[in-house]
Amino acid sequence: MDASPPSKAPRSRRLAAGLAVSGAWLPAALAIVGWWALPIGRPSRPFLTLQPDLYAVAIGHPLLWLALLGAVTALGLSFLPLPTARRGDLVLVAGTVGLASVVAWFVVSATPFGMGALLVLAGLVMLLGNALSESGRVQGDAFIASSILFVSLFVLLFIIYPLFTVLRSSIYIDGRFDFSVFLRTMQHPLFFMLGNERSAVDEVGLTLRWSLAGLVAFAAFALWRRAPWTRLVGRAILGGALGFVVGVLLYGNGALPTSLLLVSIVAPTATLLGLTFALLGQRARFGAVRRSLDVISILPIITPPFVLAFAMIFLLGRRGLITYNLLDMSSGWIFGLPGVAIAQILAFTPIAYLLLRGSLSSLNPALEEAAQTLGANAWVTLRTITWPLVRPGLAAAFLLSMIESLADFGNPIILGGNRKYMATEVYLSLTGRFNPNEAAVYGAVLLLMVLGAFFLQRWWLGGGSFVTVTGKPTSGALAPIPRALEVALTMVLFVWTVFVAALYLSIVVGSFAQLWGVNYTFTLKHYQDFFSGAGWAVFLFTARVAAISAVPAMLLGFLVAYLVSRQRFWGRRFVEFGSLLSFATPGTVMGVAYIFAFNTGPVLLTASATIIVIALVFRNMPVAIRAAVAGLAQIDPSLEEASTMLRAKSFTTMRRVLFPLLINTLVTGLIFAFVTAMTAVSQVIFLVSPGNQFATVLLLGWVDQGQLGRAAAMGTILIVSLLLAIVVVLQIARMLGARMVGVRT
Amino acid sequence: MISGLTPATVELRGLVKRFGKDVYAVNDVDLYIERGELLTLLGPSGCGKTTALRLIAGLERPTAGQILLDDEDVARLPAYLRDITMVFQSYALFPHMNVFENVAYGLRVARRPKEEIAARVDEALAMVGLEGLAHRTPSQLSGGQQQRVALARALVIRPRVLLFDEPLSNLDAKLRKRVREDIRELQQRLGITSVYVTHDQEEALAISDRVVVMREGIIEQIGSPHDLYTRPASRFVADFIGSANFLPGRYDGKEIDLLGYRWAHEQDIAAGPVTVMVRPEAVEFAREDEQAVDATVVSAAYLGAATEYLFDVAGTELFATMSGGGMSAAEKGDRVRLRLKPTAVSLLPAD
Repeated sequence: MDASPPSKAPRSRRLAAGLAVSGAWLPAALAIVGWWALPIGRPSRPFLTLQPDLYAVAIGHPLLWLALLGAVTALGLSFLPLPTARRGDLVLVAGTVGLASVVAWFVVSATPFGMGALLVLAGLVMLLGNALSESGRVQGDAFIASSILFVSLFVLLFIIYPLFTVLRSSIYIDGRFDFSVFLRTMQHPLFFMLGNERSAVDEVGLTLRWSLAGLVAFAAFALWRRAPWTRLVGRAILGGALGFVVGVLLYGNGALPTSLLLVSIVAPTATLLGLTFALLGQRARFGAVRRSLDVISILPIITPPFVLAFAMIFLLGRRGLITYNLLDMSSGWIFGLPGVAIAQILAFTPIAYLLLRGSLSSLNPALEEAAQTLGANAWVTLRTITWPLVRPGLAAAFLLSMIESLADFGNPIILGGNRKYMATEVYLSLTGRFNPNEAAVYGAVLLLMVLGAFFLQRWWLGGGSFVTVTGKPTSGALAPIPRALEVALTMVLFVWTVFVAALYLSIVVGSFAQLWGVNYTFTLKHYQDFFSGAGWAVFLFTARVAAISAVPAMLLGFLVAYLVSRQRFWGRRFVEFGSLLSFATPGTVMGVAYIFAFNTGPVLLTASATIIVIALVFRNMPVAIRAAVAGLAQIDPSLEEASTMLRAKSFTTMRRVLFPLLINTLVTGLIFAFVTAMTAVSQVIFLVSPGNQFATVLLLGWVDQGQLGRAAAMGTILIVSLLLAIVVVLQIARMLGARMVGVRT
Repeated sequence: MISGLTPATVELRGLVKRFGKDVYAVNDVDLYIERGELLTLLGPSGCGKTTALRLIAGLERPTAGQILLDDEDVARLPAYLRDITMVFQSYALFPHMNVFENVAYGLRVARRPKEEIAARVDEALAMVGLEGLAHRTPSQLSGGQQQRVALARALVIRPRVLLFDEPLSNLDAKLRKRVREDIRELQQRLGITSVYVTHDQEEALAISDRVVVMREGIIEQIGSPHDLYTRPASRFVADFIGSANFLPGRYDGKEIDLLGYRWAHEQDIAAGPVTVMVRPEAVEFAREDEQAVDATVVSAAYLGAATEYLFDVAGTELFATMSGGGMSAAEKGDRVRLRLKPTAVSLLPAD
């Protein structure tokens, strides 16, 4: 019955196998216009200068003419009636030549890029996108191919390249490899010191004693377990090493041991507390408990990261309300490890809580029910079923707290006292000691520490994206926590809430007090100073910059999420890795990196508002990516396939199908990108300049100078306005979402 | 009625789709689909039928081979440039658009004028019997209605080929029968070339012009429902379409010899030892004077309209269904004599 084909079918009118004119003509024209009508370079920092001798025509370099030739050739080729695939290949060659020439010229001449250059580069990249799509080398239409190119370029330029300059500047100085700065920094007491001649304690001796103790303990344990020789030796060495580490942490001084000691205190505590709250939130018998936890989870987002540290000065400092007025102590005990540790625990526990809440909610209650039918009571179920299943979430929360603690800049700067910390030393070596290469060394070491922790966890837990565990909330009743435990945990929550509320309250009160600790009369002076002085103007600038950065952060994040989760393309791993890097890198390291990368040469960007915007965009892009990935996971992929089959190209599908369905997610992502931008400090502090001052940096400066009242005023205004913004926008998002009844098909 | 349809022929030549290093979902498939026919790809899950459909649609790119639409190779052409539409298993109706907007989507993308869109959408909705529901949203429609909207949306832009990806699996059993008849009737009325994927063999037999049985990426057999049922080419096809019994026998070119029971049979197969495929409905109790084969009853189940038997024929099991009123004629342990209806028997090469 499979007969041979009958007589010829009627020819279709449309040339199904090709397009008449290549889509590359428009970007090619754009590139040509940019080349001709706008300056390709600029003399120095200002963007909008139209210096005549910096037009491509005037410069007349052969590379620039070659670039023009490439664009013109591509334009001409677009109209030739060739088969689409062959023509696409030719346009690809022309476009690549053009792009390579322009980039080469910039590298060779080291001229800062001008507006014309932006147009030329954008045009050439889109041209290449069209060519890649039409020649069939990239699966997808011109929009997808161009997006892939743009995203890859951004990741390369604004994430990979700056980090590379940091690593390079630590060992490559003045044009040659130079390890002296690296070695000197490593051996400097500011970095690592064990054995202070001036102290009464013999640090080295004590450390060795700890080492010995560890060795003996582990060896004894192995002996008791009747382990074979090799295992015994291995265990002994491990014990010795661990003992040594404990000794270093306890008696060592300098940025490295201090930061590590801080991590070993903060990470477990924050994780444990986060787990406590997550358990309570999920299974507490009282609704009030659960509701208060929802409020707690919002807090770290709307407050600048160091506000709690600042509030601790009010309550627990030398003239603190609790320490001085209530307990009659006047000590600086919080300035140092204790203060920083407390501040970090307060700040990071809500983050751990959010992570663990998601992890717990994906636990299938049927498992616990099965355990109960098999005779396990609440305790046993918790221990044997819940705990092992929660372990991965715990590891993730632990890692996140570890990274946040290492990268934390604001708290150590305020409460650090005499001790040194890795993140602050990056900053201080640059602005205090004027040694950029030393800053690069600190930055490189910190980066490697954080990345090491990151990849260790991924290897241990076996991959999975850094996206929050989005568990589908399962139905079914959950086993309540054993009574005694629940009471204990609720007490902890209560103490916590009271303490945190007191801290926030103290800021508000502090903004209205004449002089905290001395004179508590009510005054509006601080607010008056704020509005009449620099405060209000800086606040508005910050809000503007944050708003401007939130939109591209969200759009870029959505685009990356879409490309990575819905498309398969060569270089996908690279984009994923780049966005991961952007998420994991500590802000101080990225700040120093941007200074190295963008302070000179073709990509001159420092001392402008632009560099702040760019830094914020890439800092917040991972947040948007995460939200978009979660949102996309809720949409049936056959919706997009149906749209494609109805002849819509990918941009149309995105516009008409995905965007309307995800508007809720997108708006929420937008507001969180905005809020995160407003409260950024560790990277921005490197990038501010006269006329481009950031609110958090100003706040930090005021605290440093002792102008606590004014700082409290700024803090209060920040918190209140951010809270308002979130509430309003979430309401809008909810209203928009309500229109999508039955989104899940 | 949708006017202006120009159905195409579809040909697959040497089509291969490989996932990863060594998973061949579609392994060198050759197939020719006539203009206006409804061809079904049938097989168990994992056989490659859905992959083949998606290759035709352009949602997957082939590793090798050609896909010819009216003799033009479209294998490298992206989905949105092919003149092919698809009805999805989940219908994939856009939840944020009402029925009218859903059906009008393809026309809007093609930037047709508003009056033309309105006219064609009304025409399409009338064709599937959903006039008056244009302003409802998908969540306000029943499963069957949603499916008809998906159909209207796929047809309104006048595709040359229409694809169906298990469209009935989300409907309940009773609705399935009615809807499949509606689909078949519409397809024949419009004369549109259709490729249909399902794992339900009853569905395939009921509505197709031809059926392609697939297994592990290759085609086992192509033929009309009748041909596949009466002359299956392999054990797999025989067992997949309907149920089958397999008994050892001999064939001399004219007669089948089943343990002494002989009857005339014509089939183009080599003489010698063969496997005799016997459909359950082929088995009857023989009269005293007829040629028959001996068997013992292993079990009997009275189902009202029919009785199911399990017989033991010289060590091989034989499953039979006999219709007719009254309690089962035989009981467990009885020795009986059976004859077979020649039309429900076919030969396969001996194992």
